[in-house]
Amino acid sequence: MMEGNDGIGEGMAPLLEIDGLKTVFYTDEGVARAVDGVSFSINPGETIGLVGESGCGKSVTALSIMRLVPDPPGRIEGGSVLLDGRDLLAISEKEMRKVRGNEISIVFQEPLTSLNPVFTCGEQVREAIGLHQKLGRRESKEQAIEMLRLVRIPDPEKRYGNYPHQMSGGMRQRVMIAMALSCQPKLLIADEPSTALDVSVQAQIIELLLELREQLGMAVLLITHDLAVVAQMAERVVVMYAGVVVEEAPLGRLFAHPAHPYTDGLLASIPKVDAPVERLSAIPGTVPDPLRLPPGCRFSDRCPKRMDKCSVTEPGMFAVAEGHRSRCYLCEGSGP
Amino acid sequence: MTAQTPQDQAQARSLWSAGWARFRKNRLAMTGAVIVVALYLAAILAPLIAPHDPIEHGEVPRMRYLSPGSAHPLGTDKFGRDVLSRIIYGSRISLTISFLAVAISVVLGSLVGAAAGYFGGIVDSVIMRFVDALMAIPRLFLLLTCIALFSRSVWLIILLLGATGWMATARLVRGQVLSLREQDFVKAAEALGAGGRRIVLRHLLPNTLTVVIVAATLRIGGIILTEAALSFLGLGVQPPTPSWGQMIFEGREVLLGAWWVSTFPGLAIVVTVIGYNLLGDGLRDAFDPKQFA
Repeated sequence: MMEGNDGIGEGMAPLLEIDGLKTVFYTDEGVARAVDGVSFSINPGETIGLVGESGCGKSVTALSIMRLVPDPPGRIEGGSVLLDGRDLLAISEKEMRKVRGNEISIVFQEPLTSLNPVFTCGEQVREAIGLHQKLGRRESKEQAIEMLRLVRIPDPEKRYGNYPHQMSGGMRQRVMIAMALSCQPKLLIADEPSTALDVSVQAQIIELLLELREQLGMAVLLITHDLAVVAQMAERVVVMYAGVVVEEAPLGRLFAHPAHPYTDGLLASIPKVDAPVERLSAIPGTVPDPLRLPPGCRFSDRCPKRMDKCSVTEPGMFAVAEGHRSRCYLCEGSGP
Repeated sequence: MTAQTPQDQAQARSLWSAGWARFRKNRLAMTGAVIVVALYLAAILAPLIAPHDPIEHGEVPRMRYLSPGSAHPLGTDKFGRDVLSRIIYGSRISLTISFLAVAISVVLGSLVGAAAGYFGGIVDSVIMRFVDALMAIPRLFLLLTCIALFSRSVWLIILLLGATGWMATARLVRGQVLSLREQDFVKAAEALGAGGRRIVLRHLLPNTLTVVIVAATLRIGGIILTEAALSFLGLGVQPPTPSWGQMIFEGREVLLGAWWVSTFPGLAIVVTVIGYNLLGDGLRDAFDPKQFA
């Protein structure tokens, strides 16, 4: 496997290094390889966009990093996830609990149901603080109010005593972000943080994440299917398809020179404001069933540029340029 | 569902005061609460409010089976004892036994059920098969055997009723926990580094509380009936300590002649059970946050 961090942040030790991660689900119909040898790395303070269609393994990758894959039926079967050089897949569950929420935090897609309905939002932020820090009652309450202020919740002292049902979706997502950031993690995983919200609220949440990233200097792994969100936030983009990384490139380069036909298709399906279009372009076909992957390249049955060898053997990752790799035979030998 | 006050008003109030406001508006629930509070007051203040001594025999046969009148509002029994006084004192037994027995079974059942539901897999299977096995044992038979083997102490009855009553709670809590465990807020808590014990105690059990409270208040009625049945069979509280079941038992021979000896303790049981049921329903309506979201 090639190093994923060449080009950007050279010489810097990566914060998180995922190598050959394999997560499978044992279902009644067979073994689904949801994540099948994913490798990429995240540098300190960097924002990576992880994009792909629903079911491509983005969220499972995130859950695997946190070791929260429901087991059974899921299991992490191989690879390594190094956080500052320490393999998170090898440590005990007890040690892993100290990592979760403390060094790596995750914000989920569903702000409406991610808060416990019987406690006030403030108490829940305080609990998150108390999980990794020993603080007195008053100190932890003050810090919780500070966290609510940090995520721009108006009138945090009063809002502290609100129950989740008394808050809007956007406000609840802010509370979730406050909880996730309460112990100053080095890495925040944002799993579709704005997808379940109204468009205007989406923008506010993305804005907030951008500001907080500047303020706290944490790295962000932004998982989304929305390329517009990626364009706003990410420095580097990792594109996943059917459980594997198909392309990885710096943001500008990915949009200007996509190397993989799948990325091409994704970009083409964004509606353009300035060009009148009768029909939105879409990639024909659907993501293959993880139980019945096509032989060779996983994208071959939908690919407009398919060659004979594509349906025989799966291509490896080919370097296209500095920090730009692609899993496509078209890129074979095109690298620097 | 009760009508909602404006959002900003509701926000300023805590869960408890908001719940209490909803509870107060519910007339049936308040009736239940008044009945239950009155019963506990009667039990505590029995020596002050009972017009006669509940145990000392009256002058027999002159005072035997006196029909309800001004001296004895609910009449007298075979030994010339005042039925009203005996009912008031009898509430002590019924309330103590039912409350403590239900408390034991709720705590035990909640913990066992939550453990089974949260840990799942083999733990769940073993615990729930054990529960099934215990449920298959006829309860009254077990109670009768134990009481016959040991003694007729009140504490033994409480312990037995508690120890044989937790399985239903365990099943209830397990079912709740199974569905709660898949909720996003549990995943979120795990993602923040919360351990199993914290998740069970802070995130799962509090969310089952309303269901458990309702089930528990309904169970209290059942326990009062079981205790009455035990006393009726002559294996409850030792006479002459008055208990409602025993009073019904004593009056059964003269039901047609001196109907008041059995009827009034029976009514006391009915009123108590209804009171608890109304209270339980009212509490659920008032304190379930999911209902007024």
